Amino acid sequence: MLKEKYADRIQAILAKYPPDRKRSAVMSLLYIAQEEYGWVNQQGIDEVAEICDLDPTQVNSIAGFYTMYSEKPKGKYWLHVCVDLACALSGADEFYENLKAYLEADVDGNSKDGLFTIEHAMCLGACDRAPMMQCNFHFHENLDLEKAKALIEQWRANEAKK
Amino acid sequence: MNIIYREVDIPNIRELDVYVKNGGYQALKKALSMPRADVINEVKASNLRGRGGAGFPAGVKWSFIPQDNPINYLTVNADESETGTFKDRQIMENNPHQLIEGALICAYAIKAAAVYIYIRGEYWDVAAGLEKAIADAEAAGYFGRKNTTPVPADPKGNKPKYLGLNQDGMSAIIESEYFACRVFVHLGAGAYICGEESALLESLEGKMGQPRVRPPFPANKGGGLYSEPTVVNNVETLANVPFIIANGAAEYKKMGTEQSTGTKVFCLSGHVNKPGNYELEFGKYTLRDLIYTYGGGIRGGRQIKGILPSGGSGPVIRVNGNDDPILDTPLTYEDMAKTGSILGSASIIIMDETVDMAWVASKVIHFFHHESCGKCTPCREGTYWLTKVTDRILAGEAKDSDIDLIHNVANNMKGVTLCALGEFAANPILFTIKHYPEDFKQHTTAAGKLPAPAAGD
Amino acid sequence: MATVTIYVDDKPIAVPAGMNLVQALKEYADTDVPVFCYHPKMKPVGMCRMCLVELGTPMRDRATGEAIMENGQPKIGWNPKLQTACTQTVSDGLRIRAQGTVVEDGRRSIVEFLLTSHPLDCPICDKGGECPLQNLTMAHGPGTTRMVFEDKLHLDKHVPLGDLIFLDEERCIQCARCVRFQDEVVGDPVLGFHERGRHLQITTISDPPFDTYFSGNTTDICPVGALTTADFRFGARPWELTNVPSICPHCPVGCNISASTRLDREAGGKTVIKRIMPRQNEQVNEIWICDKGRFGHHFTRDDQRLMQPMIRRAGGAQSLSNWGEVLTAAAQAIKGAEGSVAAIAGSSISNEDGYVLRQLVLAAGGSMLGRWKPTHAGEDIVAQVGVGAGTNLGTMGKGDAILVIASDLEEEAPLWYLRVKQAHDRGATLIVANGRHTNLDHHSTATVRYPYGSTEAVFTDENVRKMLTDAANVVIIAGAEGLQLDASRSLMQRAAKFLSETGHVGKPNNGLMATFPGANAMGLGYLGFTAEATMEIAANPPKVLIVVGADILYDDPTAAEWLDKVETVISLSLFPDELTTRSAVAMPIQSFAERDGSFTNGERRVQRFYTAHSPIGESLPAWTALSRVLERVTEARAKLSAAAVMLEMTTTIPAFADCRYPELAKVVKQSPDVGGTDLYYGGTAYKNTGGLGVQIASAVESGAALETGAPVDASASAITVESGQLLVVPVTVLYNREWTFRQSESELMGGHVPAPYAEINEADAEALGVAAGDEIEVTTGGVTVRVTARVGLRAPQGVVLLPRNLAQAATPLIMGAGVVARAREAVSAV
Ligand SMILES: Cc1cc2nc3c(=O)[nH]c(=O)nc-3n(C[C@H](O)[C@H](O)[C@H](O)COP(=O)(O)O)c2cc1C
Ligand code: SF4
Ligand code: FES
Repeated sequence: MLKEKYADRIQAILAKYPPDRKRSAVMSLLYIAQEEYGWVNQQGIDEVAEICDLDPTQVNSIAGFYTMYSEKPKGKYWLHVCVDLACALSGADEFYENLKAYLEADVDGNSKDGLFTIEHAMCLGACDRAPMMQCNFHFHENLDLEKAKALIEQWRANEAKK
Repeated sequence: MNIIYREVDIPNIRELDVYVKNGGYQALKKALSMPRADVINEVKASNLRGRGGAGFPAGVKWSFIPQDNPINYLTVNADESETGTFKDRQIMENNPHQLIEGALICAYAIKAAAVYIYIRGEYWDVAAGLEKAIADAEAAGYFGRKNTTPVPADPKGNKPKYLGLNQDGMSAIIESEYFACRVFVHLGAGAYICGEESALLESLEGKMGQPRVRPPFPANKGGGLYSEPTVVNNVETLANVPFIIANGAAEYKKMGTEQSTGTKVFCLSGHVNKPGNYELEFGKYTLRDLIYTYGGGIRGGRQIKGILPSGGSGPVIRVNGNDDPILDTPLTYEDMAKTGSILGSASIIIMDETVDMAWVASKVIHFFHHESCGKCTPCREGTYWLTKVTDRILAGEAKDSDIDLIHNVANNMKGVTLCALGEFAANPILFTIKHYPEDFKQHTTAAGKLPAPAAGD
Repeated sequence: MATVTIYVDDKPIAVPAGMNLVQALKEYADTDVPVFCYHPKMKPVGMCRMCLVELGTPMRDRATGEAIMENGQPKIGWNPKLQTACTQTVSDGLRIRAQGTVVEDGRRSIVEFLLTSHPLDCPICDKGGECPLQNLTMAHGPGTTRMVFEDKLHLDKHVPLGDLIFLDEERCIQCARCVRFQDEVVGDPVLGFHERGRHLQITTISDPPFDTYFSGNTTDICPVGALTTADFRFGARPWELTNVPSICPHCPVGCNISASTRLDREAGGKTVIKRIMPRQNEQVNEIWICDKGRFGHHFTRDDQRLMQPMIRRAGGAQSLSNWGEVLTAAAQAIKGAEGSVAAIAGSSISNEDGYVLRQLVLAAGGSMLGRWKPTHAGEDIVAQVGVGAGTNLGTMGKGDAILVIASDLEEEAPLWYLRVKQAHDRGATLIVANGRHTNLDHHSTATVRYPYGSTEAVFTDENVRKMLTDAANVVIIAGAEGLQLDASRSLMQRAAKFLSETGHVGKPNNGLMATFPGANAMGLGYLGFTAEATMEIAANPPKVLIVVGADILYDDPTAAEWLDKVETVISLSLFPDELTTRSAVAMPIQSFAERDGSFTNGERRVQRFYTAHSPIGESLPAWTALSRVLERVTEARAKLSAAAVMLEMTTTIPAFADCRYPELAKVVKQSPDVGGTDLYYGGTAYKNTGGLGVQIASAVESGAALETGAPVDASASAITVESGQLLVVPVTVLYNREWTFRQSESELMGGHVPAPYAEINEADAEALGVAAGDEIEVTTGGVTVRVTARVGLRAPQGVVLLPRNLAQAATPLIMGAGVVARAREAVSAV
């Protein structure tokens, strides 16, 4: 249960908003649910709904509207490559395709080993450092295919160690 | 001169002690000793214009907030999602206290109960840094729970109301003679539309980020956060405020032109050698200076073909090579408007001669299709339709008349959408076709590949 | 009412200040602004952009605030862009251009945009023929499409949102009317959008899914064929339907409905009801009905109906008979009773039925007129201090107060629940007082708990008194949950006294209403039928008892005993219930759908219903059968029409003096105007052609002094609960197994009628060793019923909530002490 496991974080989130505005916490709580379950599943939605006094359908609307919640299981490393105009002018489209091929990802972007999910993204605010990607929302900038491959291999190695 | 990106001159100004050593939080202290109206008037006098794109004077916006309303809010727009925009990120990463200080000055002036910084979800790491800065400053007692700076008594004897914590650590609205205002970071979760101020407020309230009908406007009762009067300002706008309060409006106005005062951050990206953020005084420099002096010129020594001066949403400026006099346009709101485009948020994307403008149009319309919130019909359906036809054009399957079709469809979206996103979405089609018809025609044929729609279908 | 002047295409028009512009143009300027998302019953959202107009306002000098003049006229600042009319309220001097090329171009592109992804499957769409999108496309849309067929989005066309409502995702135009209805109007946000942009779709992931008492209304307000009901889906085309004005027979609200009928092959070419739709009556149900009213109509054509008269011949066996024989037999029995004749009227028989029944009993020298179920007392008190003429819960709001006491309003009178909830949303103080939690608590300003059995404390509570006395208008809605009959009367007296002392009687939006059972308890009350009389009949059974439309034996386990003492039971019934079998004479009567008549609702509004389909079997209207008996008893000529019965009532029963049928059928223009041919607000059946009814004046309004009789001391009937016992409180649930709903079992609503259950508190459950889902036996009032245990927070400690009419066998009619024992462990956890 999120409520018990993340009691402190949840309390801190709720404390940000006026007492009768628990609904404002829904986005932050969905991140916690995603962290816990790997994606936003029904269980997570139900728990968040209970904490914020919402109907699960209302929480589901939030999960569906915003792109940073995954409504499907995904790899442990969730990669977002910006292929928006500014990055594309610096070769981001090609970078993305090559990286995807390197990961042997299927149409949904899941790598063959299941460790990665690669998706393209709209502008991520790093246009001067293209090509770039985010891994679990941490920036990796000024990349080329070789640098990206090195990162991938490093993550793979880290996982193998565990 | 850098008044925003002070880290250029003062390394590590992101740290609280460095910031304080260099005059940090003195402007807030000064403001707290002034009547609220004077603070607003000073900002008004500076003619500081909103840096979020619309350029609305900040002081005027603040003055809309009813001072006798017990609870008002300030929300800082740090959603920064326009293609080619990355200026606010640098402020928050490298000079966060200046934003916090500016926000607090505004919060004081408009009697805000709390400040919410709405930051795009993808700036996860930036948000963490910002939260640390807020915690540092609050712990040092500049504002919030530990603040001991009394605020001038209200003529009516009302104590200001703040969003604080009760003994149990639960949120509560408290009354205080001290500046007890707190600053919170609210992380978005991936939606460009949440940069639109009313969608931002919806999102902050825990709803889908869909714009609201106006009036009431955010500054009106019923229109703001939790229905209370609310100021929404861009990060860069507020980062200007400490300078104005510390040095006075007159000093600030020495920079820039009559209509464009102070400095502006220009986000330069695309086919230049040195993309990046450049803070320049308004009016002193031209597009050419920006691209060649600061941006190091066009990559590979190629010719420049076009500029998107306000990310994907503003009209494209056609440039006929590196000698085009249009490049001598000074960087101000008023001069950029004369080119038929806008300065907007100054996210300047440079495209060289190798670029196919039909491809650009397609990229940008896909962006808006992906980001349309879906609330209103013309934007929801129009962006979808436009992606379908532009895709076909790029695939070489479209008819000549499809160019007119998308031009007309985009035109039909103009002026009838609920928020400006729908207008923005029409621009890339309308202006690329207007300025570069040949780029489209090279893809189309008289007959196309698809049958005409059946009559009456 | 303050008015302002607006200029529509330069013509000045006076409209009420603050009115929505679309509504003002429609109702005052005869100008239809096309809309999709706007609905006058919900907040405007400006989403669809169909209502574009050109708008101008008089310009004002910024500094002085003075109007700027130009050539002696105020200078008009025209908005450079088209504006959505639906999000504007009228203001003085507002200019509107609602026609012309600019406006028409704007609208044409909106329709074109909407149609780009619309499937255009009108030929097979249930909405075809009454579809706002279809209509507005014809009026404003382009003649041809420029969207290539291959580009259309293809989506799921049969998505169940619950088992009553289906969604066709392709047809949905994302107007959010359904989402907003559930959220704003009902307060149960189980519908939501999912995704964004062109992927935006209606979904629910709630548990249960879209299954509220009001779900059907969304299909009416859906402006396209995206939402359809499982009942009507693919059932008929709107243009084949005849809409017959009717009144819902299920509860005291008296919702105005339309029975959409047609000749049906499946019914052997007979007329059948294909669907029930709400009919606009702003004072009663606005444009809403509950799902019981909408989907619970199938009983009228059920093949289990009593088809033929029955008689018990010498030797005891009951056999089929004919009308002549049963009428004569009934008359003979009555004549032979020497005045020991009494009647019990079911609460949903019509005014006319009740009147003739009364005449019959009186003619035979009897006097006891009982009303069934005898659970609530005090129709006479409502007749005195009932809500004032012109009361409209839909206009109550800030400054007003409503007290709901001893009632689970959502279950007993769903539309009152909805309207009271909305009054609270508009700012009215809502106090909910009951022995337990009910859903209305979630929408209340304050809740009051009292121990079951006594409601006195509520009226002496300082807070309650203050909240009520501070209010401009006060309405009290009283139920009788957990009250014996005398306590129910005592509550009604107290409420009347309070209202009258505080001056909240005899004017609109003030006074008393009660959740009497059935659709016509008030009308029967005016005719002298009471619950107390029923109790007396039970105590002193007469020789001959006439029972009309009451399933006594299913409702009351003790009835068998006293019925045995009645020599001759004459029953008139819709179904062959247990009473029919016990009767000497049983007559099949017609349901509300097969005949005309009138009901008097809880607000004392007498409303007409009309014949919707042909009779089932040999059934007659109850009043016809009864007049023919009367004819044989007194030789008075039988009346030939319900209208004639009412005509006589207008002269003999003062309350009905103004209720001649033509009066009941009168309709005045209502606001909002939703029933027009424009269809903007959905639903072809909203239009009220059957009449708005006539509200009987309360006695206080007519100048009479308040006379509620000596205060009843209810303490006599107080129940002692011994240790080891619990208090068993019968409660009402909307979906139950009464004959008029039970018939749906095999059909649509079957799954919605809960399995028999009783609800106890967690602490009691633990003490008894009972877990949720266990089978338990509740023994009280001499009977034992086997039900499934629900364990929850609604039941207070020491109380068992036992729904009426859910179990197979009769459950006690009134509260009593009882014991609970676990019979069998839950098969699977609930
Ligand atoms: C679709 C859309 C996206 C926007 N995105 C942003 C944004 O990311 N950041 C921002 O500051 N303003 C954005 N704006 C402008 C805001 O609505 C608003 O005008 C601004 O935050 C006001 O702040 P300012 O007056 O300080 O500029 C956007 C507007 C629209 C219509
Ligand atoms: S213009 Fe687009 S983003 Fe703005 S409200 Fe309409 S659908 Fe939403
Ligand atoms: S926008 Fe006005 S009716 Fe939809």
